[in-house]
Amino acid sequence: MPFVLFKCDEAIPEREKHCYVKAPGEDVHEYLPAANIATIPGSLTERGCSYCGAKLVIGGAIKDCIQMIHGPVGCAYNTWHTKRYLSDNDNFQLKHVCSTDMKEVHIVYGGMKRLEKAIKEAFEAYPNIKRMIVYLTCPTALIGDDIDRVAKKVMRELGDVDIFCVSCPGFAGVSQSKGHHEFNMEWMRGKVGEYEPEITSPYTVNLIGEYNIQGDGFVFEDYMRRMGIQVIGHFTGNGSYDMLRGMHRAKLNVVICARSAGYIANELKRRYGIPRLDIDPWGFEYVAEGIRKIGAFFGIEDRAEKLIAEETAKWKPKLDWYRKRLAGKKICIWTGGPRLWHWVKAFEDELGMRVVAMSCKFGHPDDFEKAISRGSEGTIYIDDGNELEFFEVIEMVKPDLIYTGPRVGDLVKKLHIPYLNGHGEHNGPYMGFEGFVNMARDMYNAIYSPLWELAKEDIRNDEWMEELEEEDGGEESGADFSGMESGEVGAEG
Amino acid sequence: MGVVLVEKPREGVINPMYNCQPCGAQYVCIGIKDCIPLVHGGQGCCTFVRLLFAQHYKENFSIASTSLHEDAAVFGGMKKIEEAVKVLVRRHPNLRVIPIITTCSTETIGDDVEGVIRKLKRTFLEKEFPDREVYLIPIHTPSYSGSHVKGYDTAMFSLVAYLAEKSEPNGKVNVFTGWMNPGDIREIKHILAEMGVDYILLMDIEGFDSPIMPDRSGFATGNTTVEDIRDTANSTASIVLCKYEGFKAAEFLEKRFGVPAVVTPTPIGIRNTDMFLKNLRRITGRRIPDSLVEERGRAIDAMVDLAHMFLADKRVAIYGDPDLVIGLAQFCVECEMKPVLLLFGDDASKHYAKDERLVELESKVEYDIEVVMNADFWELERRIKDGLKLDLILGHSKGRYVSIDYGIPMVRVGFPTFDRAGLWRYPVVGYNGAIWLAETIANTIFEDMERRKDREWILNVW
Repeated sequence: MPFVLFKCDEAIPEREKHCYVKAPGEDVHEYLPAANIATIPGSLTERGCSYCGAKLVIGGAIKDCIQMIHGPVGCAYNTWHTKRYLSDNDNFQLKHVCSTDMKEVHIVYGGMKRLEKAIKEAFEAYPNIKRMIVYLTCPTALIGDDIDRVAKKVMRELGDVDIFCVSCPGFAGVSQSKGHHEFNMEWMRGKVGEYEPEITSPYTVNLIGEYNIQGDGFVFEDYMRRMGIQVIGHFTGNGSYDMLRGMHRAKLNVVICARSAGYIANELKRRYGIPRLDIDPWGFEYVAEGIRKIGAFFGIEDRAEKLIAEETAKWKPKLDWYRKRLAGKKICIWTGGPRLWHWVKAFEDELGMRVVAMSCKFGHPDDFEKAISRGSEGTIYIDDGNELEFFEVIEMVKPDLIYTGPRVGDLVKKLHIPYLNGHGEHNGPYMGFEGFVNMARDMYNAIYSPLWELAKEDIRNDEWMEELEEEDGGEESGADFSGMESGEVGAEG
Repeated sequence: MGVVLVEKPREGVINPMYNCQPCGAQYVCIGIKDCIPLVHGGQGCCTFVRLLFAQHYKENFSIASTSLHEDAAVFGGMKKIEEAVKVLVRRHPNLRVIPIITTCSTETIGDDVEGVIRKLKRTFLEKEFPDREVYLIPIHTPSYSGSHVKGYDTAMFSLVAYLAEKSEPNGKVNVFTGWMNPGDIREIKHILAEMGVDYILLMDIEGFDSPIMPDRSGFATGNTTVEDIRDTANSTASIVLCKYEGFKAAEFLEKRFGVPAVVTPTPIGIRNTDMFLKNLRRITGRRIPDSLVEERGRAIDAMVDLAHMFLADKRVAIYGDPDLVIGLAQFCVECEMKPVLLLFGDDASKHYAKDERLVELESKVEYDIEVVMNADFWELERRIKDGLKLDLILGHSKGRYVSIDYGIPMVRVGFPTFDRAGLWRYPVVGYNGAIWLAETIANTIFEDMERRKDREWILNVW
């Protein structure tokens, strides 16, 4: 069975090529869902914009720089307090965001003077912060503001500050993915090589495409420390602006999210010859495999094995407890892109679950190649899924749990289906050995919650009275309600 | 002594307090039944507003995007509106209203939304759906003008101006609530029911507080219908509870259809709720019932229990939507607290500076109230850094780190309040709102006293 056209999509038959059900013997090259192409207007897409990809996903996680959004105030407001990426810098990156608050007069006459003032004011407000990222948004791109020129001027005048500019108007590209790409390429072009980091170990890596959601990156930083490996650039969770300018000094690029940051890894390879190693950070087997590969690269296999043994001994019994209870449960993964293929085998092979449907917002065809190769037959694979399709898929596959965002989660709870936050995580970290136990724990808690049984029950239904009578076996009960009209017990709804 | 008005002395914004226009417009439109707003702009303009609504309500709201991509930025985005409307109408058989909300990008490009709507009616709706009325309503909300407050006002005006139609008098009162929570709406409905007033609520968003039902039918929806909005032209009067969020629509109904517009102070606190009831009495002739007098008495009783012992002289900073901020400041004065700092987050300063409620406040207090126009959270934080003493912050969750990092107790009020559970269920308006506010403020202060071991023993016997 190749592509499917959902009933809700009859009016937009072009959606058919985005939705695929895997059948035995089929080749992914024959039936690869269309991905990373223009969204159908009005289809209730889950996609964000290019600016969101650059700011909310990548730049915003850097812990020691000011975020300056050159546009109307909403772009700053709406991408603030919407992420859970932590840092060891008192979470400066979560607490602050700046905007040039563009008004009509600036749209007409240009906003560069406004930007210059806003930049200087922000550096004045945060005297200890000397780094900044400036983002170009829809209107400031349309009027052609030259943010680079402003940044260079301020850098010249103030002397001790450094500013990175990224052009990521929301209309660029088809999703947030374009913003990831822009940030990657611009950072590589403009910033990498500018800073010489202090080297403290013969083994050095960049952790690329890891955003320290709920401390995911702390887990990996700890693994690296325990193996005696220095992390130079953590791109970008808990990342430091200057250390990220020194990424060219690492000996290995460990890539975690290939979709959002594979670009910079490729560029580092091309320009500096630093090899790229992609790992899967979720699931015991994947994590162990990743650590082994890193160990093998540096010839410190013993350290890798020691780490894996320690962690496995600590966490495996806990995972096994959950595995017994999660085996056979049906799950959907509706997230951004690569989590589909990162998670599917870990859930299926290690926890015995069955991933019945996967949808991503901004994945590219290569993400689908991987997801479909790793995923099961009979599973539904959707690019850029929308609300109506989700309803239909739920009816088709009847999942026990959905990993998705909070908003779709709020929708499916009404259908008595638990959701877990597949972006910001319910109670992470989710990466590494302990993280996978956390995931299993969250899944167990969600699926086995007593609330779902309660939600299903319609207390207007009088079956319980009959059951009670059967239980009583005709014996006289304490109270006599026989004279009461049914309407007095519970109003009809 | 009095109200001191100042402007933010900077050009840029550090930690924004207000959102942009399209957000306010989207909030109005999700209050309509069988409506999917269509945001004409980049996808983020709707995806992140949807997320914001979900953060606050833990509910999903369907809002569509025209998904503006590069080609549209170059050649104009009108084709995208056409495509989007067609997809929405074809896929959602019960859909009756599609407000088309513009953004900064599409206003800059200069798309002719009205022209597209005319074309769609002629070439699509009349041909493909001759038996079905779907209203396409343009709402112009460039993000670079005003704030979500203006966006709310503009959207309400655009909808009413488009749909209102004179027929027979209906004996109802149009109630323009402004940006409120379902708890507030429930309280307003309660007051109207007690008064025996028949009404049209704009917008009836009580259904945003939606249940999980056994038959899986519970979803968050707005409940104001097209018919309701159409009928606003036939009402006895309009009453506006938030001057900056709804007056423009009421004013239109007055000028166009002779429906008198009454602006009542946002009914936060006893005196303002009294004014609301008296205005209803004046408009409809209905007497204020004993039941509401009792509720009023209960609220005053609750406030008396707390005011002189715990609340008196507490120095309070308040930020948020202008009507909410002013109403809360008036409430603080009623409870003997000192609203020493008020912050408005947009550039409508000329209106706020002349607000009669602020003028009246000035005559009541014997200390300075600083009012910051065009404010951001840095204006609040900087003052605290420079030594401003505050006992309490009243405002929405975007300012949470000011409270957390400076150890100042804070009561979350308004929108969004995503860092506290379920606040949207409780009213701040009406007598019940006054009770909730006074007691929540008191309990927050109590917890702070205990945490800091500051006269916490006073709570042993009270």
